[in-house]
Amino acid sequence: MLATATAILPPLAIIVYQSVLDGPFFQPSAKLSLSAFRFVMADADFHRALGSTLLVATGMTAVAVPLGALLAFLFVRTDLPGRRLLEPLLLIPIFLSPVVIAFGYVVAVGPVGFVTLLFRETFGTAPWNLYTIASVTLIAGLTHIPHVYLYTASTLRAMNVDLEEAASVAGASTARIALTVSIPMVRPALLYSGVLVFFLGFELFGLPLILGDPEGLLVLSTYLFKLTNRLGVPSYQLMAVVAVVIMAFAFPLVWVQRRLMGGAGRFVSIRGKGVSHAPLRLGRWRWVALALVLGWLGATVVIPLAGVFLRAFVTNWGEGVRLSEVLTVGHFTELLDYPNLIRGVVNTLLIGVVGGALAVACYAGIALAAHRWQSRWAKVLDYLVMVPRGMPGLVAGLAFFWVFLFIKPIAPLRATPLSLWIAYSVVWLAYGMRLISSALLQVGPELEEAALTVGASRGRITRDVTVPLIRFGLLGSWLLVFLIFVREYSTGVYLLGPGTEVIGSLIVSLWATGAMDTISALSVINVVLVGLGLLVALQLGVRVNE
Amino acid sequence: MRQIKASLFLIVLARAALAGDRPATAQEVIAAAEQEGKLVIYSTTDTIFVGPLLKDFNSLYPKISVQYDDLNSTELYNRVIAEVAAGNGSGDLLWSSAMDLQLKLANDAYAQAYLSPEATHLPSWASWRNEVYATTYEPIVFVYNKRLLKAEDVPHSHACLAKSLSADPAKWRGKVASYDPERSGIGFLLITQDSRLDPDFAATARAYGAAGVKLYTSIGAMLERIQSGEHLLGFNIFASYATARQWKDPSIGIVYPKDYSLVMSRIALIPRAAKHPNAAKAFLDYLLSRRGQELLARSALFSLHDEVEGEMTASALMKKRGGNFKPLPVGPSLLVYLDQAKRLDFLRRWQRALGTK
Repeated sequence: MLATATAILPPLAIIVYQSVLDGPFFQPSAKLSLSAFRFVMADADFHRALGSTLLVATGMTAVAVPLGALLAFLFVRTDLPGRRLLEPLLLIPIFLSPVVIAFGYVVAVGPVGFVTLLFRETFGTAPWNLYTIASVTLIAGLTHIPHVYLYTASTLRAMNVDLEEAASVAGASTARIALTVSIPMVRPALLYSGVLVFFLGFELFGLPLILGDPEGLLVLSTYLFKLTNRLGVPSYQLMAVVAVVIMAFAFPLVWVQRRLMGGAGRFVSIRGKGVSHAPLRLGRWRWVALALVLGWLGATVVIPLAGVFLRAFVTNWGEGVRLSEVLTVGHFTELLDYPNLIRGVVNTLLIGVVGGALAVACYAGIALAAHRWQSRWAKVLDYLVMVPRGMPGLVAGLAFFWVFLFIKPIAPLRATPLSLWIAYSVVWLAYGMRLISSALLQVGPELEEAALTVGASRGRITRDVTVPLIRFGLLGSWLLVFLIFVREYSTGVYLLGPGTEVIGSLIVSLWATGAMDTISALSVINVVLVGLGLLVALQLGVRVNE
Repeated sequence: MRQIKASLFLIVLARAALAGDRPATAQEVIAAAEQEGKLVIYSTTDTIFVGPLLKDFNSLYPKISVQYDDLNSTELYNRVIAEVAAGNGSGDLLWSSAMDLQLKLANDAYAQAYLSPEATHLPSWASWRNEVYATTYEPIVFVYNKRLLKAEDVPHSHACLAKSLSADPAKWRGKVASYDPERSGIGFLLITQDSRLDPDFAATARAYGAAGVKLYTSIGAMLERIQSGEHLLGFNIFASYATARQWKDPSIGIVYPKDYSLVMSRIALIPRAAKHPNAAKAFLDYLLSRRGQELLARSALFSLHDEVEGEMTASALMKKRGGNFKPLPVGPSLLVYLDQAKRLDFLRRWQRALGTK
């Protein structure tokens, strides 16, 4: 509890304090003032950005939650063709950096993208515009489906099939079972993931940064980014105000979520007996379902990745370019000349594999400590872990940069990947914890009570009962956290320096000066590395389809 | 055999010539720098552009290990003021294209004075108070897509660009790109200079607005989309980046506007908080020396050294393109628009002219 608080509160305190000053907090000339709030509230751009953020966050939740739930049901409970093969692919959108995805979409379906040009040649016109709020919302919704899927599927798996089988025996159709039995039973997972997707909507940065750039579309995070330059010199106080506003949205959401979750006992379904089940039959809908899954994969994975891969192997693209004449592998060989880029690749792997495992260990430790803890502090902890999630990664990264700069005892860590690991772990705390506690929620207290009755200590119960019961949740979390850490880009931007390079932050940094060749090559390496990591994980027995 | 001997001899000769071409850094500074053994550079210039330069510096001073931090311009400024406030030292040499922010650092007493012996080869506008030095000569140009824009349609001056935009707004609609002065500090600096140099700036801005100019934060994104044909033309673009891109892709066309071409420069300064000030001095001298400038020119960053020859130099540019280059003087005049009220006022007028607000 205390450790959690020490990791979370200092960056938060700096941000709140900064928001009520009229200059950078470390300059002696800064005075207490509400001028930053006045400036932001009076700014028309702020209201525009807030409006579109709400729109995008709502829209993407509305897209991601139903589709994610549907996918989870199809994969876990039905005889969908090829589901074992397809399931690892479902996760791909999570580990693609939004910057990479957006960039890929521009190359593929932008105004002169290769899909657009092909479409226009065939049908005479290509009736879409990539650079609109609607496109950003749709893409964000589609790429966040896996978040919902992971939460829902891991809950569904942990759930007893008795009720569904009973419904099936009573003659209910598969669709009816899904709607009236399975989905209501995974309501906690759906609510959690819904709220998180909504949050992620507030934090969305890479997609609107690239897709909103030419049209000047603003969401809160890109507005915040815009403030960096508005006054010529860095206006931390204005950025802090926007961060505070975003967090002000986060708190009521956590409260609502807790209210909805009241009486978690209703959802307990791992009871003390074995589980086996036969998949529900989809009948002739199997192929429709398969087409839906493949169509979604095509739109969210194949199209943008094709764009990125294409860009990585050509010197030039677009209208009037014959691609066969511009092929090259030069972008990759160039990378070898730059030790910082190589270090970036190594650090990214390190922070994903080792850092991810360590982070999950910490998350599980906190979740288990709070598990069955009937105290007011458990509630406080629950709110506490949600806090960093409300901070945009960019701001959290900046706050951690300050923490590592001004708190002398930990200053030497700043130039090591450890500083990144701490920042990442705190930023994604809520996320990892939800996955673990979602799984914990499914463990009926009677198994633990039984152990208690036969005289086991609290530690022994945790080790021999609770942890084994949630082990798939833990493995799933590690996988998820690995993917998230490898993909992360905004948190590391301000901590970026020799020793702390990661691919994501390098891409953002390179984006500003326009080394597109390097960016596309790094993106491809990122995608390939994570793909390999996923394969290795699957080989080692982290079976996501268990 | 004789041939091999002859070429060996040539190599030795070339080596000797290169070795003789050392920066004029004082011996005691070099000795102190080698004692320090380390140099931390904060820079906005991509590693890709400076690889050869750093390698050569290393061959010149193998005892100084160089750490090169590639940052964006606002980040660089932020990092320096935060690190100085934390009192734990900062970069040893700051090298940034955000001329105004670099000047602000010097003006706010973050820089230390050093009279570089190489400064004699610089034009008079290129340094201030022996604290800040211009190191490159990078014209600001129009860039267009050669595949899609016919030669006769290419505008050759700001006035001409404004005229063709207003003459056929439908053709240009959404096809022109530039920096967003609101979101990019460099973009802001450039457009305020335009407002000073273009006698008919209000009309030009209206023409940009009529064509629905697309405003970006990143030069890479602009070049990429001009290359792909999504846009036909971009203005206020660094010739250095455009030329480097052109070397890889000949479909990039570059126009040095005839009425005036603004010239930007990468500014170097040594902060007071530098932990390795002598190494920084050695690097600054190297950067300004003939040897360093030749390598800069080879990386498409134009040289402003009076003795460096070749296409990518200030003198060659002026010979070839005439004298309408307007280097931005290194001095306090750069600070004008860092005043908050003036800045916001300019942005309001700019938006009104564009018709976006």
